[in-house]
Amino acid sequence: MPELLLDYWQDLAPATQDAVILVLLLLPAILTGLFVTAGYRPLALVRSLLWRYRWTNLMFVALIAVSVGLGVGLTAQERGLRQGTARAAEKFDLIVSAPGSEITMMFAAVYLQPSDVPLLDGAAYDKIATAENVELAAPIAFGDSFEGSPVVGTTPQFVEHLTGALTEGQMFARPGEAIAGAAVDLAIGAEFTPAHGSGEGADHEAHAGATTRIVGKMAATGSPWDKAILVPVEAVWEVHGLANGHAPERADQIGPPFDPDYFPGTPAVLVRAEALWANYALKSEFTTDKTMAFFPGAVLSRLHSLMGDIRQVMSLMAVVTQVLVTAGVLTGLVVLVRLFSRRLALLRALGAPRRFVFAVVWSYASVLIAAGALLGLAAGFAASGIISAEISRRTDILVEASLSWPEFHLIAGFVSLTVFLALLPALLSLNRPVIPDLRS
Amino acid sequence: MAGLPLDVLDLTVTGAGGRVLLQPASFKVKAGEAIGIRGPSGAGKSTLLYALAGLQPKVGGTIDWGGQDLARFSDAERARFRRQHVGMVFQDFLLFEELTALGNAALTAAFAPRQEIAPIRSRATALLERLGVSRSRRNVDSFSGGERQRVAIARALANDPDIILADEPTASLDRAAADRLIGDLTDLARKEGKTLIAVSHDRHLLDRMDRCLEVADGKLLEPSHA
Repeated sequence: MPELLLDYWQDLAPATQDAVILVLLLLPAILTGLFVTAGYRPLALVRSLLWRYRWTNLMFVALIAVSVGLGVGLTAQERGLRQGTARAAEKFDLIVSAPGSEITMMFAAVYLQPSDVPLLDGAAYDKIATAENVELAAPIAFGDSFEGSPVVGTTPQFVEHLTGALTEGQMFARPGEAIAGAAVDLAIGAEFTPAHGSGEGADHEAHAGATTRIVGKMAATGSPWDKAILVPVEAVWEVHGLANGHAPERADQIGPPFDPDYFPGTPAVLVRAEALWANYALKSEFTTDKTMAFFPGAVLSRLHSLMGDIRQVMSLMAVVTQVLVTAGVLTGLVVLVRLFSRRLALLRALGAPRRFVFAVVWSYASVLIAAGALLGLAAGFAASGIISAEISRRTDILVEASLSWPEFHLIAGFVSLTVFLALLPALLSLNRPVIPDLRS
Repeated sequence: MAGLPLDVLDLTVTGAGGRVLLQPASFKVKAGEAIGIRGPSGAGKSTLLYALAGLQPKVGGTIDWGGQDLARFSDAERARFRRQHVGMVFQDFLLFEELTALGNAALTAAFAPRQEIAPIRSRATALLERLGVSRSRRNVDSFSGGERQRVAIARALANDPDIILADEPTASLDRAAADRLIGDLTDLARKEGKTLIAVSHDRHLLDRMDRCLEVADGKLLEPSHA
């Protein structure tokens, strides 16, 4: 029987599984509510109490919202960051570079973070480009910039691989032409001179005279490449006074094949194989003492795993915060119930069963908890959206905050637990003496 | 419903630490009779009234309302008795300020059995009209003291009780409002045959009662059998 249930469970669509988990998490709250309020109509009185002590109630709701929002924001933010970084790296199947740190190289080649890295020479490049099953071997030459946008030398094939069809203009066809990323504030026809290096240390005079004109615009990728300006790798080599990758008789050529004898070097080569399995063979082939091959996705996965550990610690902290706030709120509710103890005594004097008074107090507490949880959900989502926008602005990695099942599960679990615990202040309210409260 | 007769025998009330709040008291009240309870402040008048309502936790003796001895009842049974047979009016109205006049008058509908909800609401509406509360759909927070107490009377009578217990019902009202309240309360009680017991210092109210009991220092000074 359990195996049958397990099979049935595994056959369900993931969204259905999540919905079932949500219902199961909410079930204790729903059952408690049905049991406590069965046969009574406490809501009018609850509304009255909510309005009567609205400012105090708002404070309670805000406290709950902050603690819930923290948990929701953390989960949504971490997921958005994970998805955003993964999306930015998904076009980078295999990177081959000179031996060094995979993470440093991934940040440099995939996320275009400035870094000094050694170069691969022409022989190494030629070996990669002519290896069996290699469909694309594009040099990625970075190091120059223009007004904060990295200027990257590469091939037309890489541009097509990265972004598909251009949204405007045409592909660069000669040195002095460039393709602008979707977020670069340069229109077709605009001219610029790249600086050597990036940031405050950039040398703006180093490439004086190397005027470059924008001839095309890339579609948005949601990655730092949206902020990049792509030029023929030959242009990068030429402005640095190096050979342009081709023998003199083919000096006007743009893109592969390159001549190993005239290949000045490149920090990284993006490799794409004809089939997925071939990537693994290529990785193995180019993991040598002279070259380093790695899957950015795998490096990212290790980073996400580390982030996951941090998230678990932070989630634990968020849960502890929620527990503490819940304990505070429940203690506060016990005190708050004293505020309207006279009204509860009136109900008892009018013949209300103890269970009705219990239902009023519990419903009141539950409304505060549910309102706080919903507000926390909205606040967490909003905060996550703001932080995501800021991260996107600073890193150019498109981080999108979204609410998903884990957040709803978190809220449902929190609500179920706390409305169950709210039975306590309701129970305590029954022990209050009627006559002293009536006279208070 | 018609009023219930009351037979109180050797009723004692003790408070915290065994302190005697009301020494043995015995008296009878006929069904439909209006009784005033008077005496100085702190004498035990309200203690007696709350004992008759089944609200005092530590009572001895007998509180026999038409054959039902409240002193023997459990807490839940006393609550049910109040819900079915007793209407209460308090000195400072004790209304839910954020509810309408009708919401307050029909308050007991919130915990009444389903079949009693409609009759309670209908009776509350009729009582408010009869008592001249025209703004029955307005929240009572804008009402005058007199209007509030009339809403409280409607609440006390909405479940058609046999007994009305009033604790200083005119104490928070000015003279004119108090006189109107006294008229409303006693007229309604008499016309509907309710047994009315009112604790008060107000001579105008006590004068409208069939007779009065006097309490002083926790003793019923003038046990009176009709």
